[in-house]
Amino acid sequence: MLFNKRTERIFFWVFFPLALLMPLFLAENTFFVSKLTSIMIFALFVMSLDYLVGRCGLITLGHAMFYGLGGYLFWMIAPEYEAVNFWVYTFYICMIAAAVALIIGFLVLRTSGIYMIMITLAFAQMAFYFFSDSIEFGGTDGLFIYVKPETSIFGLSFFDLDNPTHFYYLCLLSLFNTLIFFRILIRSRFGRVVDAIHENPGRTTALGYNIFVFRLMSYVIASALGAYAGYLFTLQYGFVNPSMLAWTTSGSALVMSILGGMGSIYGAILGTFVYEGLHYVLEHLTEHWMLFMGALIIAMVMVFKNGIAGSMEKLLEKRT
Amino acid sequence: MNTQVSLDLKVMLETQGLCKYWGGLKALDDISLQFFDKQLHGIVGPNGAGKSTLLNLLCGHYKPTRGSILHKEEAIEAIKPYAFARRGIGRSFQKTNIYPGATCLENCCVAVQRRMGGSFNILRSRYTQKVLDEIASEALEKVGLGARRDVVASQISYGEQRQLEIAMVLATSPEVLLLDEPMAGMGHEESQLIIELLKTLRREYCIVLVEHDMDAVFELSDQLTVMVDGQHLTTGSVDQVRDDPRVKEAYLGQGDEVF
Ligand SMILES: Nc1ncnc2c1ncn2[C@@H]1O[C@H](COP(=O)(O)OP(=O)(O)OP(=O)(O)O)[C@@H](O)[C@H]1O
Ligand SMILES: [Mg+2]
Repeated sequence: MLFNKRTERIFFWVFFPLALLMPLFLAENTFFVSKLTSIMIFALFVMSLDYLVGRCGLITLGHAMFYGLGGYLFWMIAPEYEAVNFWVYTFYICMIAAAVALIIGFLVLRTSGIYMIMITLAFAQMAFYFFSDSIEFGGTDGLFIYVKPETSIFGLSFFDLDNPTHFYYLCLLSLFNTLIFFRILIRSRFGRVVDAIHENPGRTTALGYNIFVFRLMSYVIASALGAYAGYLFTLQYGFVNPSMLAWTTSGSALVMSILGGMGSIYGAILGTFVYEGLHYVLEHLTEHWMLFMGALIIAMVMVFKNGIAGSMEKLLEKRT
Repeated sequence: MNTQVSLDLKVMLETQGLCKYWGGLKALDDISLQFFDKQLHGIVGPNGAGKSTLLNLLCGHYKPTRGSILHKEEAIEAIKPYAFARRGIGRSFQKTNIYPGATCLENCCVAVQRRMGGSFNILRSRYTQKVLDEIASEALEKVGLGARRDVVASQISYGEQRQLEIAMVLATSPEVLLLDEPMAGMGHEESQLIIELLKTLRREYCIVLVEHDMDAVFELSDQLTVMVDGQHLTTGSVDQVRDDPRVKEAYLGQGDEVF
Protein backbone atom coordinates (compact mmCIF):
# COMPACT_ATOMS: atom_id res chain seq x y z
CA MET A 1 0.00 0.00 0.00
CA LEU A 2 1.28 3.41 -0.91
CA PHE A 3 -0.04 5.18 2.16
CA ASN A 4 0.51 3.11 5.24
CA LYS A 5 -1.29 5.53 7.53
CA ARG A 6 -5.02 6.04 7.60
CA THR A 7 -4.58 9.74 8.27
CA GLU A 8 -2.58 10.12 5.13
CA ARG A 9 -5.22 8.37 3.04
CA ILE A 10 -7.91 10.59 4.50
CA PHE A 11 -5.84 13.67 3.80
CA PHE A 12 -5.21 12.49 0.27
CA TRP A 13 -8.88 11.90 -0.47
CA VAL A 14 -9.95 15.19 1.06
CA PHE A 15 -7.27 17.50 -0.25
CA PHE A 16 -6.95 16.49 -3.87
CA PRO A 17 -10.65 16.25 -4.80
CA LEU A 18 -11.20 19.58 -3.05
CA ALA A 19 -8.27 21.17 -4.83
CA LEU A 20 -9.52 19.74 -8.10
CA LEU A 21 -12.93 21.37 -7.70
CA MET A 22 -11.76 24.62 -6.20
CA PRO A 23 -11.38 26.63 -9.44
CA LEU A 24 -15.00 25.83 -10.30
CA PHE A 25 -16.11 27.80 -7.25
CA LEU A 26 -13.59 30.51 -7.81
CA ALA A 27 -14.12 30.87 -11.54
CA GLU A 28 -14.37 34.66 -11.37
CA ASN A 29 -11.79 35.15 -8.68
CA THR A 30 -8.44 34.84 -10.44
CA PHE A 31 -6.70 36.45 -7.50
CA PHE A 32 -7.64 33.56 -5.28
CA VAL A 33 -6.77 30.96 -7.86
CA SER A 34 -3.33 32.54 -8.21
CA LYS A 35 -2.90 32.71 -4.46
CA LEU A 36 -3.67 29.00 -4.11
CA THR A 37 -1.35 28.24 -6.99
CA SER A 38 1.56 29.99 -5.32
CA ILE A 39 0.87 28.15 -2.07
CA MET A 40 0.90 24.83 -3.89
CA ILE A 41 4.19 25.71 -5.55
CA PHE A 42 5.73 26.52 -2.22
CA ALA A 43 4.24 23.36 -0.71
CA LEU A 44 6.11 21.40 -3.35
CA PHE A 45 9.30 23.14 -2.29
CA VAL A 46 8.59 22.49 1.39
CA MET A 47 7.90 18.84 0.58
CA SER A 48 11.33 18.40 -0.98
CA LEU A 49 12.87 20.03 2.09
CA ASP A 50 10.77 17.88 4.39
CA TYR A 51 12.16 14.78 2.74
CA LEU A 52 15.72 15.96 3.38
CA VAL A 53 15.22 17.20 6.91
CA GLY A 54 12.52 14.91 8.24
CA ARG A 55 13.23 11.75 6.35
CA CYS A 56 16.98 11.79 5.81
CA GLY A 57 17.90 13.80 8.90
CA LEU A 58 19.93 16.21 6.78
CA ILE A 59 19.21 19.63 8.23
CA THR A 60 19.89 22.30 5.65
CA LEU A 61 19.39 26.03 5.70
CA GLY A 62 20.42 26.37 2.09
CA HIS A 63 17.59 24.69 0.26
CA ALA A 64 16.37 28.03 -1.14
CA MET A 65 19.52 28.11 -3.24
CA PHE A 66 17.94 25.49 -5.46
CA TYR A 67 14.59 27.26 -5.43
CA GLY A 68 16.30 30.36 -6.81
CA LEU A 69 18.46 28.33 -9.13
CA GLY A 70 15.33 26.89 -10.75
CA GLY A 71 14.28 30.40 -11.69
CA TYR A 72 17.66 31.76 -12.77
CA LEU A 73 18.44 28.62 -14.74
CA PHE A 74 15.35 29.13 -16.85
CA TRP A 75 16.39 32.69 -17.60
CA MET A 76 19.90 31.55 -18.42
CA ILE A 77 19.13 28.67 -20.77
CA ALA A 78 15.88 29.73 -22.43
CA PRO A 79 15.94 32.17 -25.38
CA GLU A 80 14.53 35.53 -24.37
CA TYR A 81 11.81 36.07 -26.96
CA GLU A 82 10.83 32.60 -27.96
CA ALA A 83 8.42 30.16 -26.33
CA VAL A 84 10.22 26.97 -25.38
CA ASN A 85 8.67 23.67 -24.46
CA PHE A 86 7.71 23.46 -20.80
CA TRP A 87 8.39 19.74 -20.39
CA VAL A 88 11.76 19.85 -22.13
CA TYR A 89 12.88 22.74 -19.94
CA THR A 90 11.56 21.02 -16.84
CA PHE A 91 13.88 18.19 -17.71
CA TYR A 92 16.83 20.52 -18.38
CA ILE A 93 16.39 22.49 -15.20
CA CYS A 94 16.00 19.43 -13.01
CA MET A 95 19.07 17.83 -14.56
CA ILE A 96 21.27 20.90 -14.20
CA ALA A 97 20.08 21.46 -10.63
CA ALA A 98 20.81 17.81 -9.91
CA ALA A 99 24.33 18.19 -11.29
CA VAL A 100 24.91 21.27 -9.13
CA ALA A 101 23.50 19.41 -6.12
CA LEU A 102 25.84 16.52 -6.81
CA ILE A 103 28.86 18.80 -6.51
CA ILE A 104 27.61 20.83 -3.56
CA GLY A 105 26.26 17.74 -1.82
CA PHE A 106 29.62 16.09 -2.22
CA LEU A 107 31.16 18.84 -0.09
CA VAL A 108 28.28 19.55 2.26
CA LEU A 109 27.48 15.95 3.18
CA ARG A 110 30.96 15.35 4.56
CA THR A 111 29.78 17.28 7.57
CA SER A 112 26.77 16.74 9.77
CA GLY A 113 24.59 18.41 12.36
CA ILE A 114 25.37 22.03 13.15
CA TYR A 115 28.28 22.11 10.72
CA MET A 116 26.07 21.02 7.89
CA ILE A 117 23.58 23.75 8.74
CA MET A 118 26.39 26.29 8.61
CA ILE A 119 27.90 25.09 5.37
CA THR A 120 24.59 24.85 3.54
CA LEU A 121 23.81 28.35 4.74
CA ALA A 122 27.20 29.56 3.56
CA PHE A 123 26.66 28.13 0.08
CA ALA A 124 23.20 29.65 -0.15
CA GLN A 125 24.47 33.05 0.96
CA MET A 126 27.22 32.87 -1.61
CA ALA A 127 24.63 32.21 -4.30
CA PHE A 128 22.44 34.99 -2.91
CA TYR A 129 25.20 37.59 -3.06
CA PHE A 130 26.39 36.35 -6.41
CA PHE A 131 23.00 36.93 -8.00
CA SER A 132 22.10 40.09 -6.13
CA ASP A 133 25.47 41.74 -6.84
CA SER A 134 25.83 40.89 -10.51
CA ILE A 135 24.51 43.26 -13.12
CA GLU A 136 24.03 40.56 -15.75
CA PHE A 137 21.50 38.88 -13.48
CA GLY A 138 19.65 42.07 -12.73
CA GLY A 139 21.06 42.62 -9.26
CA THR A 140 18.58 42.96 -6.45
CA ASP A 141 15.76 43.69 -8.89
CA GLY A 142 16.07 40.35 -10.59
CA LEU A 143 15.00 39.64 -14.11
CA PHE A 144 11.81 39.42 -16.14
CA ILE A 145 10.66 36.44 -18.12
CA TYR A 146 8.94 37.81 -21.21
CA VAL A 147 7.67 34.69 -22.87
CA LYS A 148 6.16 31.74 -21.06
CA PRO A 149 6.79 28.23 -22.36
CA GLU A 150 4.18 26.28 -24.28
CA THR A 151 3.20 22.86 -23.01
CA SER A 152 2.60 20.66 -26.01
CA ILE A 153 3.39 16.98 -26.00
CA PHE A 154 3.50 15.51 -29.51
CA GLY A 155 1.55 18.48 -30.75
CA LEU A 156 -1.15 18.21 -28.09
CA SER A 157 -1.36 21.05 -25.65
CA PHE A 158 -3.36 20.79 -22.43
CA PHE A 159 -2.19 23.78 -20.49
CA ASP A 160 -2.00 27.43 -21.42
CA LEU A 161 0.42 28.86 -18.88
CA ASP A 162 -0.98 32.37 -19.27
CA ASN A 163 -4.34 31.15 -18.07
CA PRO A 164 -4.34 31.18 -14.24
CA THR A 165 -6.72 28.24 -14.01
CA HIS A 166 -4.63 26.15 -16.36
CA PHE A 167 -1.52 27.03 -14.43
CA TYR A 168 -3.33 26.14 -11.22
CA TYR A 169 -4.00 22.64 -12.54
CA LEU A 170 -0.44 22.24 -13.74
CA CYS A 171 0.81 23.06 -10.24
CA LEU A 172 -1.74 20.80 -8.61
CA LEU A 173 -0.62 17.97 -10.89
CA SER A 174 3.00 18.69 -9.98
CA LEU A 175 2.23 18.62 -6.27
CA PHE A 176 0.27 15.41 -6.68
CA ASN A 177 3.08 13.76 -8.61
CA THR A 178 5.68 14.87 -6.11
CA LEU A 179 3.70 13.45 -3.22
CA ILE A 180 3.22 10.12 -5.01
CA PHE A 181 6.87 10.08 -6.03
CA PHE A 182 8.09 10.57 -2.46
CA ARG A 183 5.63 7.97 -1.22
CA ILE A 184 6.98 5.42 -3.69
CA LEU A 185 10.54 6.39 -2.80
CA ILE A 186 9.95 5.98 0.92
CA ARG A 187 8.23 2.65 0.44
CA SER A 188 11.07 1.32 -1.71
CA ARG A 189 14.18 -0.60 -0.80
CA PHE A 190 16.06 2.65 -1.15
CA GLY A 191 13.67 4.22 1.33
CA ARG A 192 14.35 1.41 3.78
CA VAL A 193 18.03 2.33 3.82
CA VAL A 194 17.20 6.04 4.08
CA ASP A 195 15.05 5.33 7.13
CA ALA A 196 17.76 3.13 8.60
CA ILE A 197 20.41 5.82 8.11
CA HIS A 198 18.17 8.41 9.72
CA GLU A 199 17.53 6.27 12.76
CA ASN A 200 21.01 4.87 13.30
CA PRO A 201 23.75 5.83 10.83
CA GLY A 202 26.50 4.04 12.73
CA ARG A 203 24.69 0.73 12.67
CA THR A 204 23.86 1.13 9.02
CA THR A 205 27.54 1.59 8.21
CA ALA A 206 28.37 -1.45 10.32
CA LEU A 207 25.91 -3.45 8.23
CA GLY A 208 27.91 -2.50 5.14
CA TYR A 209 26.06 0.44 3.62
CA ASN A 210 27.95 3.38 2.22
CA ILE A 211 25.67 5.93 3.82
CA PHE A 212 27.31 8.86 2.04
CA VAL A 213 26.04 7.66 -1.33
CA PHE A 214 22.47 7.31 -0.07
CA ARG A 215 22.56 10.77 1.44
CA LEU A 216 24.02 12.23 -1.72
CA MET A 217 21.30 10.64 -3.84
CA SER A 218 18.61 11.99 -1.54
CA TYR A 219 20.19 15.42 -1.62
CA VAL A 220 20.27 15.41 -5.41
CA ILE A 221 16.65 14.30 -5.73
CA ALA A 222 15.36 16.86 -3.23
CA SER A 223 17.41 19.65 -4.78
CA ALA A 224 16.16 18.92 -8.29
CA LEU A 225 12.58 19.06 -7.05
CA GLY A 226 13.32 22.24 -5.12
CA ALA A 227 14.59 23.77 -8.35
CA TYR A 228 11.44 22.62 -10.14
CA ALA A 229 9.36 24.52 -7.58
CA GLY A 230 11.44 27.64 -8.18
CA TYR A 231 10.94 27.22 -11.91
CA LEU A 232 7.17 27.08 -11.42
CA PHE A 233 7.33 30.20 -9.23
CA THR A 234 9.20 32.05 -11.94
CA LEU A 235 6.68 31.01 -14.54
CA GLN A 236 3.80 32.13 -12.37
CA TYR A 237 5.05 35.61 -11.66
CA GLY A 238 7.20 36.10 -14.73
CA PHE A 239 10.31 37.11 -12.87
CA VAL A 240 13.27 35.85 -10.89
CA ASN A 241 14.60 37.67 -7.93
CA PRO A 242 17.45 37.10 -5.43
CA SER A 243 14.97 36.98 -2.54
CA MET A 244 14.07 33.50 -3.79
CA LEU A 245 17.56 32.47 -2.68
CA ALA A 246 17.51 34.28 0.63
CA TRP A 247 18.04 32.26 3.77
CA THR A 248 14.66 33.48 5.02
CA THR A 249 13.06 31.46 2.23
CA SER A 250 14.83 28.34 3.55
CA GLY A 251 13.90 29.33 7.08
CA SER A 252 10.20 29.76 6.48
CA ALA A 253 10.11 26.53 4.48
CA LEU A 254 11.69 24.80 7.46
CA VAL A 255 9.07 26.28 9.77
CA MET A 256 6.29 25.05 7.48
CA SER A 257 7.81 21.60 7.40
CA ILE A 258 8.04 21.47 11.19
CA LEU A 259 4.53 22.86 11.54
CA GLY A 260 3.16 20.25 9.14
CA GLY A 261 4.96 17.35 10.76
CA MET A 262 8.55 16.62 9.85
CA GLY A 263 9.18 13.59 7.73
CA SER A 264 5.52 12.96 7.00
CA ILE A 265 5.79 14.42 3.45
CA TYR A 266 2.05 15.15 3.18
CA GLY A 267 2.48 17.33 6.26
CA ALA A 268 4.39 19.74 4.04
CA ILE A 269 1.12 20.56 2.27
CA LEU A 270 -0.68 21.03 5.59
CA GLY A 271 2.09 23.15 7.05
CA THR A 272 2.36 25.40 4.01
CA PHE A 273 -1.38 25.96 3.73
CA VAL A 274 -1.81 26.69 7.43
CA TYR A 275 1.18 29.02 7.49
CA GLU A 276 0.24 30.89 4.35
CA GLY A 277 -3.42 30.96 5.35
CA LEU A 278 -2.57 32.53 8.68
CA HIS A 279 -0.20 34.91 7.00
CA TYR A 280 -2.95 36.02 4.63
CA VAL A 281 -5.56 36.50 7.32
CA LEU A 282 -3.30 38.29 9.82
CA GLU A 283 -1.85 40.51 7.15
CA HIS A 284 -5.31 41.86 6.48
CA LEU A 285 -6.20 42.30 10.14
CA THR A 286 -3.20 44.13 11.45
CA GLU A 287 0.01 45.67 10.30
CA HIS A 288 1.79 43.98 13.20
CA TRP A 289 0.99 40.63 11.64
CA MET A 290 4.57 39.37 12.03
CA LEU A 291 4.33 39.58 15.79
CA PHE A 292 1.08 37.60 15.94
CA MET A 293 2.31 35.17 13.34
CA GLY A 294 5.40 34.44 15.42
CA ALA A 295 3.37 33.92 18.57
CA LEU A 296 0.91 31.65 16.77
CA ILE A 297 3.67 29.55 15.21
CA ILE A 298 5.33 29.06 18.60
CA ALA A 299 1.98 28.10 20.13
CA MET A 300 1.17 25.64 17.36
CA VAL A 301 4.56 23.97 17.38
CA MET A 302 4.20 23.50 21.13
CA VAL A 303 0.63 22.23 20.98
CA PHE A 304 1.01 19.96 17.98
CA LYS A 305 3.69 17.49 18.92
CA ASN A 306 5.14 16.14 15.69
CA GLY A 307 3.30 18.83 13.76
CA ILE A 308 -0.21 18.94 12.44
CA ALA A 309 0.18 15.61 10.70
CA GLY A 310 1.46 14.01 13.90
CA SER A 311 -1.46 15.34 15.92
CA MET A 312 -3.97 14.19 13.34
CA GLU A 313 -2.41 10.75 13.36
CA LYS A 314 -2.70 10.61 17.11
CA LEU A 315 -6.44 11.21 16.81
CA LEU A 316 -7.16 9.05 13.80
CA GLU A 317 -4.84 6.06 13.98
CA LYS A 318 -6.02 2.96 15.73
CA ARG A 319 -3.93 2.37 18.78
CA THR A 320 -2.17 -0.94 18.82
CA MET B 1 53.88 -17.70 22.93
CA ASN B 2 52.51 -21.17 23.17
CA THR B 3 49.88 -21.12 20.50
CA GLN B 4 49.38 -24.66 19.28
CA VAL B 5 47.01 -25.03 16.38
CA SER B 6 46.76 -27.84 13.87
CA LEU B 7 47.96 -26.79 10.45
CA ASP B 8 44.85 -27.49 8.42
CA LEU B 9 43.04 -24.52 9.92
CA LYS B 10 42.65 -21.53 7.67
CA VAL B 11 43.61 -18.13 9.03
CA MET B 12 40.64 -15.87 8.45
CA LEU B 13 41.67 -12.73 10.23
CA GLU B 14 45.03 -11.67 11.52
CA THR B 15 46.41 -8.67 13.35
CA GLN B 16 50.07 -7.68 13.18
CA GLY B 17 51.46 -5.32 15.78
CA LEU B 18 48.10 -3.62 16.11
CA CYS B 19 48.05 -0.46 18.24
CA LYS B 20 45.40 2.03 19.18
CA TYR B 21 46.31 5.06 21.25
CA TRP B 22 43.93 7.63 22.60
CA GLY B 23 46.28 10.49 23.21
CA GLY B 24 48.71 9.04 25.71
CA LEU B 25 46.48 6.12 26.62
CA LYS B 26 47.53 2.87 25.00
CA ALA B 27 44.13 1.23 24.67
CA LEU B 28 45.75 -1.46 22.56
CA ASP B 29 49.45 -2.04 22.29
CA ASP B 30 51.20 -4.26 19.78
CA ILE B 31 48.62 -7.00 19.44
CA SER B 32 49.40 -9.84 17.03
CA LEU B 33 46.76 -12.52 16.85
CA GLN B 34 45.39 -15.04 14.41
CA PHE B 35 41.73 -15.96 14.14
CA PHE B 36 40.88 -19.19 12.40
CA ASP B 37 37.98 -20.16 10.23
CA LYS B 38 35.38 -22.38 11.90
CA GLN B 39 36.88 -21.73 15.32
CA LEU B 40 35.71 -19.71 18.25
CA HIS B 41 38.31 -17.40 19.71
CA GLY B 42 37.46 -16.09 23.16
CA ILE B 43 38.88 -12.85 24.45
CA VAL B 44 38.79 -12.04 28.13
CA GLY B 45 40.33 -9.45 30.37
CA PRO B 46 39.43 -6.99 33.09
CA ASN B 47 37.49 -3.80 32.36
CA GLY B 48 39.35 -1.40 30.14
CA ALA B 49 41.65 -4.12 28.84
CA GLY B 50 41.00 -3.04 25.26
CA LYS B 51 38.72 -5.87 24.18
CA SER B 52 36.07 -3.63 22.62
CA THR B 53 38.80 -1.50 21.08
CA LEU B 54 40.21 -4.60 19.41
CA LEU B 55 36.81 -5.50 17.96
CA ASN B 56 36.27 -1.91 16.86
CA LEU B 57 39.51 -2.09 14.91
CA LEU B 58 38.70 -5.49 13.44
CA CYS B 59 35.35 -4.26 12.11
CA GLY B 60 36.70 -0.99 10.75
CA HIS B 61 34.93 1.22 13.23
CA TYR B 62 38.25 2.74 14.34
CA LYS B 63 41.43 3.10 12.36
CA PRO B 64 44.53 1.63 14.01
CA THR B 65 47.28 3.97 15.19
CA ARG B 66 49.77 1.46 13.90
CA GLY B 67 49.90 -2.13 12.73
CA SER B 68 47.83 -3.99 10.21
CA ILE B 69 44.80 -6.22 9.89
CA LEU B 70 44.78 -9.03 7.36
CA HIS B 71 41.60 -10.64 6.11
CA LYS B 72 42.26 -13.70 4.00
CA GLU B 73 45.86 -12.50 3.71
CA GLU B 74 44.91 -9.08 2.40
CA ALA B 75 45.67 -5.93 4.37
CA ILE B 76 42.38 -4.21 5.09
CA GLU B 77 43.13 -1.62 7.74
CA ALA B 78 42.91 1.20 5.20
CA ILE B 79 39.57 0.31 3.59
CA LYS B 80 36.36 2.21 4.33
CA PRO B 81 34.36 1.21 7.42
CA TYR B 82 31.39 -0.06 5.41
CA ALA B 83 33.68 -2.24 3.29
CA PHE B 84 34.49 -4.45 6.28
CA ALA B 85 30.90 -5.70 6.46
CA ARG B 86 30.91 -6.26 2.72
CA ARG B 87 33.90 -8.54 3.08
CA GLY B 88 31.85 -10.64 5.46
CA ILE B 89 33.05 -9.22 8.76
CA GLY B 90 29.96 -8.77 10.89
CA ARG B 91 29.86 -7.38 14.36
CA SER B 92 27.54 -7.02 17.30
CA PHE B 93 27.95 -4.22 19.79
CA GLN B 94 28.48 -4.19 23.52
CA LYS B 95 26.09 -1.29 23.80
CA THR B 96 22.85 -2.31 22.10
CA ASN B 97 22.88 -0.81 18.64
CA ILE B 98 19.65 -1.45 16.75
CA TYR B 99 16.85 0.48 15.02
CA PRO B 100 14.54 0.99 18.01
CA GLY B 101 11.67 2.47 15.99
CA ALA B 102 11.42 -0.42 13.52
CA THR B 103 10.00 -3.90 14.04
CA CYS B 104 12.36 -6.76 14.79
CA LEU B 105 11.76 -8.09 11.31
CA GLU B 106 12.55 -4.74 9.71
CA ASN B 107 15.76 -4.53 11.76
CA CYS B 108 16.89 -7.77 10.18
CA CYS B 109 15.57 -6.84 6.74
CA VAL B 110 17.94 -3.88 6.60
CA ALA B 111 20.75 -6.34 7.25
CA VAL B 112 19.57 -8.92 4.69
CA GLN B 113 18.97 -6.34 2.00
CA ARG B 114 22.57 -5.18 2.08
CA ARG B 115 23.62 -8.60 0.89
CA MET B 116 20.70 -9.22 -1.45
CA GLY B 117 21.14 -5.88 -3.20
CA GLY B 118 18.60 -3.62 -4.81
CA SER B 119 19.17 -0.89 -2.27
CA PHE B 120 19.27 1.72 -5.00
CA ASN B 121 15.94 0.67 -6.40
CA ILE B 122 13.64 3.58 -5.70
CA LEU B 123 10.55 1.98 -7.21
CA ARG B 124 10.36 -1.55 -5.89
CA SER B 125 8.39 -1.83 -2.68
CA ARG B 126 10.19 -3.00 0.41
CA TYR B 127 7.05 -4.74 1.63
CA THR B 128 6.78 -7.33 -1.11
CA GLN B 129 10.07 -9.11 -0.68
CA LYS B 130 9.22 -12.71 0.19
CA VAL B 131 12.75 -14.11 0.08
CA LEU B 132 14.21 -11.21 1.96
CA ASP B 133 11.56 -11.50 4.68
CA GLU B 134 12.15 -15.22 4.97
CA ILE B 135 15.89 -14.88 5.49
CA ALA B 136 15.25 -12.15 8.05
CA SER B 137 12.68 -14.29 9.90
CA GLU B 138 15.09 -17.18 9.87
CA ALA B 139 17.71 -15.07 11.61
CA LEU B 140 15.12 -14.10 14.23
CA GLU B 141 14.14 -17.74 14.74
CA LYS B 142 17.77 -18.69 15.25
CA VAL B 143 18.20 -16.35 18.20
CA GLY B 144 14.78 -17.24 19.62
CA LEU B 145 12.92 -14.11 18.62
CA GLY B 146 10.56 -15.72 16.13
CA ALA B 147 7.51 -14.78 18.15
CA ARG B 148 8.54 -11.13 18.33
CA ARG B 149 9.07 -10.49 14.65
CA ASP B 150 6.35 -7.86 14.27
CA VAL B 151 6.98 -6.09 17.56
CA VAL B 152 8.72 -2.72 17.49
CA ALA B 153 12.27 -3.15 18.77
CA SER B 154 11.96 -0.48 21.45
CA GLN B 155 9.09 -2.47 22.99
CA ILE B 156 11.01 -5.70 23.62
CA SER B 157 13.05 -6.38 26.75
CA TYR B 158 16.72 -5.48 27.07
CA GLY B 159 17.72 -9.12 26.85
CA GLU B 160 15.66 -9.55 23.71
CA GLN B 161 17.31 -6.52 22.18
CA ARG B 162 20.64 -8.22 22.77
CA GLN B 163 19.27 -11.25 20.92
CA LEU B 164 18.11 -9.00 18.10
CA GLU B 165 21.58 -7.52 17.93
CA ILE B 166 22.94 -11.00 17.16
CA ALA B 167 20.15 -11.76 14.70
CA MET B 168 21.08 -8.66 12.72
CA VAL B 169 24.67 -9.78 12.42
CA LEU B 170 23.61 -13.26 11.31
CA ALA B 171 21.23 -11.74 8.78
CA THR B 172 24.13 -10.25 6.84
CA SER B 173 25.48 -13.81 6.39
CA PRO B 174 29.01 -12.96 7.42
CA GLU B 175 32.01 -15.27 7.54
CA VAL B 176 33.48 -13.59 10.59
CA LEU B 177 31.41 -12.84 13.67
CA LEU B 178 32.78 -10.29 16.09
CA LEU B 179 30.63 -10.51 19.19
CA ASP B 180 31.11 -7.98 21.97
CA GLU B 181 29.64 -9.35 25.20
CA PRO B 182 26.55 -10.77 23.50
CA MET B 183 25.24 -12.23 26.74
CA ALA B 184 25.65 -9.13 28.91
CA GLY B 185 22.30 -8.18 30.40
CA MET B 186 20.50 -11.34 29.34
CA GLY B 187 18.58 -13.55 31.70
CA HIS B 188 19.83 -17.05 32.42
CA GLU B 189 17.49 -18.73 29.95
CA GLU B 190 18.33 -16.34 27.16
CA SER B 191 22.06 -16.74 27.82
CA GLN B 192 21.65 -20.48 27.65
CA LEU B 193 19.93 -20.11 24.31
CA ILE B 194 22.74 -17.95 22.93
CA ILE B 195 25.36 -20.37 24.25
CA GLU B 196 23.58 -23.22 22.47
CA LEU B 197 23.40 -21.08 19.34
CA LEU B 198 27.11 -20.30 19.49
CA LYS B 199 27.85 -23.98 19.85
CA THR B 200 26.18 -24.62 16.52
CA LEU B 201 27.69 -21.54 14.89
CA ARG B 202 31.29 -22.11 15.96
CA ARG B 203 31.84 -24.75 13.30
CA GLU B 204 30.37 -22.55 10.57
CA TYR B 205 32.00 -19.18 11.17
CA CYS B 206 35.16 -17.60 12.42
CA ILE B 207 33.94 -16.20 15.72
CA VAL B 208 35.68 -13.71 18.00
CA LEU B 209 33.84 -13.63 21.30
CA VAL B 210 34.43 -11.04 24.00
CA GLU B 211 32.61 -12.11 27.12
CA HIS B 212 32.75 -11.60 30.86
CA ASP B 213 30.87 -14.80 31.67
CA MET B 214 33.89 -17.08 32.26
CA ASP B 215 31.95 -20.33 32.33
CA ALA B 216 30.52 -19.57 28.91
CA VAL B 217 33.89 -18.57 27.47
CA PHE B 218 35.61 -21.67 28.84
CA GLU B 219 32.86 -23.85 27.47
CA LEU B 220 32.81 -22.34 24.00
CA SER B 221 36.34 -21.29 23.13
CA ASP B 222 38.72 -23.24 20.94
CA GLN B 223 41.34 -20.63 21.65
CA LEU B 224 41.46 -18.09 24.38
CA THR B 225 43.30 -14.79 24.64
CA VAL B 226 43.75 -12.85 27.84
CA MET B 227 44.35 -9.12 27.64
CA VAL B 228 45.28 -6.68 30.36
CA ASP B 229 45.62 -2.91 29.99
CA GLY B 230 45.88 -3.02 26.24
CA GLN B 231 48.58 -5.68 26.36
CA HIS B 232 48.42 -9.22 25.16
CA LEU B 233 48.95 -11.52 28.14
CA THR B 234 48.56 -14.98 26.71
CA THR B 235 46.83 -17.03 24.06
CA GLY B 236 46.22 -20.73 24.11
CA SER B 237 43.73 -23.48 24.67
CA VAL B 238 41.27 -23.07 27.50
CA ASP B 239 43.21 -25.45 29.74
CA GLN B 240 46.53 -23.73 29.08
CA VAL B 241 45.12 -20.36 29.88
CA ARG B 242 43.23 -21.49 32.94
CA ASP B 243 46.37 -22.90 34.52
CA ASP B 244 48.51 -19.90 33.69
CA PRO B 245 49.53 -18.22 36.96
CA ARG B 246 49.86 -14.84 35.27
CA VAL B 247 46.20 -14.93 34.37
CA LYS B 248 45.19 -15.54 37.94
CA GLU B 249 47.33 -12.63 39.01
CA ALA B 250 45.86 -10.35 36.41
CA TYR B 251 42.41 -11.14 37.58
CA LEU B 252 43.37 -10.46 41.15
CA GLY B 253 43.81 -6.87 40.11
CA GLN B 254 47.60 -6.68 39.89
CA GLY B 255 47.52 -6.32 36.16
CA ASP B 256 50.15 -3.60 36.10
CA GLU B 257 52.83 -5.43 38.03
CA VAL B 258 52.53 -8.68 36.14
CA PHE B 259 55.17 -7.85 33.61
N1 LIG C 1 36.67 6.58 21.95
C1 LIG C 1 37.55 6.55 22.97
N2 LIG C 1 38.23 7.65 23.34
C2 LIG C 1 39.13 7.63 24.35
N3 LIG C 1 39.40 6.54 25.06
C3 LIG C 1 38.76 5.39 24.75
C4 LIG C 1 37.80 5.33 23.69
N4 LIG C 1 37.33 4.06 23.61
C5 LIG C 1 37.94 3.39 24.56
N5 LIG C 1 38.80 4.16 25.26
C6 LIG C 1 39.66 3.72 26.36
O1 LIG C 1 40.41 2.61 25.94
C7 LIG C 1 40.54 1.66 26.99
C8 LIG C 1 40.06 0.31 26.53
O2 LIG C 1 38.64 0.36 26.38
P1 LIG C 1 37.77 -0.86 25.86
O3 LIG C 1 36.38 -0.37 25.71
O4 LIG C 1 38.40 -1.44 24.67
O5 LIG C 1 37.86 -1.87 27.08
P2 LIG C 1 37.12 -3.24 27.27
O6 LIG C 1 38.16 -4.27 27.43
O7 LIG C 1 36.12 -3.48 26.20
O8 LIG C 1 36.41 -3.01 28.65
P3 LIG C 1 34.95 -3.49 29.15
O9 LIG C 1 35.14 -4.85 29.70
O10 LIG C 1 34.62 -2.50 30.20
O11 LIG C 1 34.02 -3.44 27.99
C9 LIG C 1 39.76 2.20 28.17
O12 LIG C 1 40.67 2.79 29.07
C10 LIG C 1 38.86 3.24 27.55
O13 LIG C 1 38.62 4.28 28.47
MG1 LIG D 1 34.11 -3.60 26.06
